[in-house]
Amino acid sequence: MAVEDYVDAGVAVGQANLGEVPGKAPAVAKDVTYERLLNARSEPQNWLTYYGAYDGQRYSPLDQINTENVKRLAPAWVFQAGSVGMHAGPSTYSFEAAPIIVDGVMYLTGWDGWVWAIDAKNGDELWRYKHAVPYDVSLCCGNVNRGAAVAQGKVFVATLNAHVMALDAETGHAVWDQVYGDVRAGESATVAPLVIKDMVIVGSSGGEFGVRGHLDAFDIETGERRWRTYMIPKPGEAGFETWPQDGEAWQRGGGNCWITGTFDPELNLLYIGTGNPCPDFDGEVREGDNLYTDCVVALDADSGEIQWHYQYTPHDLWDYDSTMENILFELDGRKVLAHFDKNGYFFVLDRTNGELVSVTPFVDRIDWGEIDANGKVTPKRYPEKEGEPVHFYPGPAGAKEWTHAAYSPKTGLFYVPVQDVGATATRRRREFKESIPYWGAGVQVDAEDHAGSISAFDPATGGETWRWKRGLPMCASVLATAGDLVFAGEPTGEYNALDARTGEHLWKFQCGSGHHSSPTTYSVDGRQYIAVPTGWGAWAEGFLPGMLGARQGASLVVFALPEE
Amino acid sequence: MSQTLSQSDQDSVAEGLAKQNGSTLGRLLGRGSIGHAESGSDGKMRAKVRIEPDELVWEPSIIVMPHGGDLELELTNDDLNTHCAVLPSNGDSQFIWLVNHSRGVAHLDLDGPGYYWFGSRSGNDEGRGLTGAIVVLGDTPEEARLDRPAQPRP
Repeated sequence: MAVEDYVDAGVAVGQANLGEVPGKAPAVAKDVTYERLLNARSEPQNWLTYYGAYDGQRYSPLDQINTENVKRLAPAWVFQAGSVGMHAGPSTYSFEAAPIIVDGVMYLTGWDGWVWAIDAKNGDELWRYKHAVPYDVSLCCGNVNRGAAVAQGKVFVATLNAHVMALDAETGHAVWDQVYGDVRAGESATVAPLVIKDMVIVGSSGGEFGVRGHLDAFDIETGERRWRTYMIPKPGEAGFETWPQDGEAWQRGGGNCWITGTFDPELNLLYIGTGNPCPDFDGEVREGDNLYTDCVVALDADSGEIQWHYQYTPHDLWDYDSTMENILFELDGRKVLAHFDKNGYFFVLDRTNGELVSVTPFVDRIDWGEIDANGKVTPKRYPEKEGEPVHFYPGPAGAKEWTHAAYSPKTGLFYVPVQDVGATATRRRREFKESIPYWGAGVQVDAEDHAGSISAFDPATGGETWRWKRGLPMCASVLATAGDLVFAGEPTGEYNALDARTGEHLWKFQCGSGHHSSPTTYSVDGRQYIAVPTGWGAWAEGFLPGMLGARQGASLVVFALPEE
Repeated sequence: MSQTLSQSDQDSVAEGLAKQNGSTLGRLLGRGSIGHAESGSDGKMRAKVRIEPDELVWEPSIIVMPHGGDLELELTNDDLNTHCAVLPSNGDSQFIWLVNHSRGVAHLDLDGPGYYWFGSRSGNDEGRGLTGAIVVLGDTPEEARLDRPAQPRP
């Protein structure tokens, strides 16, 4: 048949053109300056950066929703994302983001390269960006993304194939696109970027694939790389003495930075948590403390140079990443930071120099080892002999996973999602091959005999003030507000409000799927909203295998008090 | 009592996986031919796929791009039924209707390295065999790679 006989099917169009998506958002982000980010908490109507402010407290001064009226809280709108076509990690997609809000516009990321601008008042989709993610990208822990950063008219996101991108905040169109990780080495990216000054900071994922973790800074206008700092020193660099001197272990040492850091502008220090050493459970091939894995590393924000570090778990044999937040606060006038580690201990450090202030356990069952009041670590139970199973608490998901604690300066308490679950690891040495998982063990997390809680801690004493006990580990970030409320989601789908002073349970709503995200709060036209990305999934086999078969989901549920 | 298929029966099953209503209801994915995109002097890559009559298959069903970048993909529906295509591209997935005996074009932007699925969403075309792959060859840019000696690969 002649070519001219064919019907002209035209040119393919973007799916948003067939979805009533206007493709335009108000120009609110162009005025988001570094000054505003420095003073983010002075704009309680907005949630300008990943943790709400550089200090990582996940605390909002909003108090319209409070202990008296929270029982009337109800859904205001729902944004459903769903899934189209065959995508990477199809069994593991999960909604893990922290929604960013700027003057009535929400910037939200989903799994598999989704980015949306949404009307924060009614849930209308304003624009979308969808990055095409290779189906075969290495993902240790699910098809997930933890959020965006917004500044100077741009939305910054990391993609699963390790690009960092700047999108036009009004249209969602790409402004620049930089590759910062090697997918052939097993690197990926799930982190929410952090904007500091005129830079956007991102780290990579891939600690289970024997990569060399690093943190990168890019110019927010041009995308030009400003600096890269490796978290595993190479020969000749400080810290290399903590690795085998004659081997290749440092080349595959892990130490990835897959969670957003916190920042003290007065000290100009960026505090970043680093991931596990690799191979995770076979320490014999990497004798030594293995710096800078399982650390908080304080970097000069301008140069990326490491100023000091504190290692929470030297020579880790249990997959105890320390990537999760280091929350900045004042204790008796002293600049300190707080960190709840996977290893089950609550650390307070002097954030000017990394000196240990206090260390106390925050979960009931810890038997991997012990950390005394001076910070001395004594390992007790760990995979050592080839083929011999060893059970230990906490398991590799930790007594607290990456999901975040909150700190209320009003109550002076920390609120922590606690996981009390163990695991069995059996050392199985394997040869390293680039892009292949490099654990050095077979691992099975307990599918029963587990527990969880939201626990409140007084940093002055390290003591537990109250505990809201649950039968399942708690795997979602906590949010604290000036309404004297603590919000927390459960794996079974309930979203809860607790009295921040007593732990009394005040309200709940069943969202239809489990929680594994970082909810945020904001207000528009004087009405306070609580935005809750809901969608179970990710590496449930690692943090809660007893809920591996629970309903997955893909909804942002936004709550508010009924309008009068 | 255990029973093992004869070699000829096993061969017959294998052949039946590559056609409609053979061993399975549809055609098992990933069993099509491989085509290679051509690089143009304008920097774009170009490739063509067509839908075979009654086969519910893209031909070729694996398109290989030598590197990441822009692909101009011509799609031809030679089938006696209407199909469509949802195709991966940075920015937004691309959609095109392909009525019987039609031809259209899609402009795709893909990073690579890696591979991406595309398919027709009509009915269950995706499950019946109208799911193809775009393979992007190449490596991550030098400046993004890890500072370490070359490592062993599988």
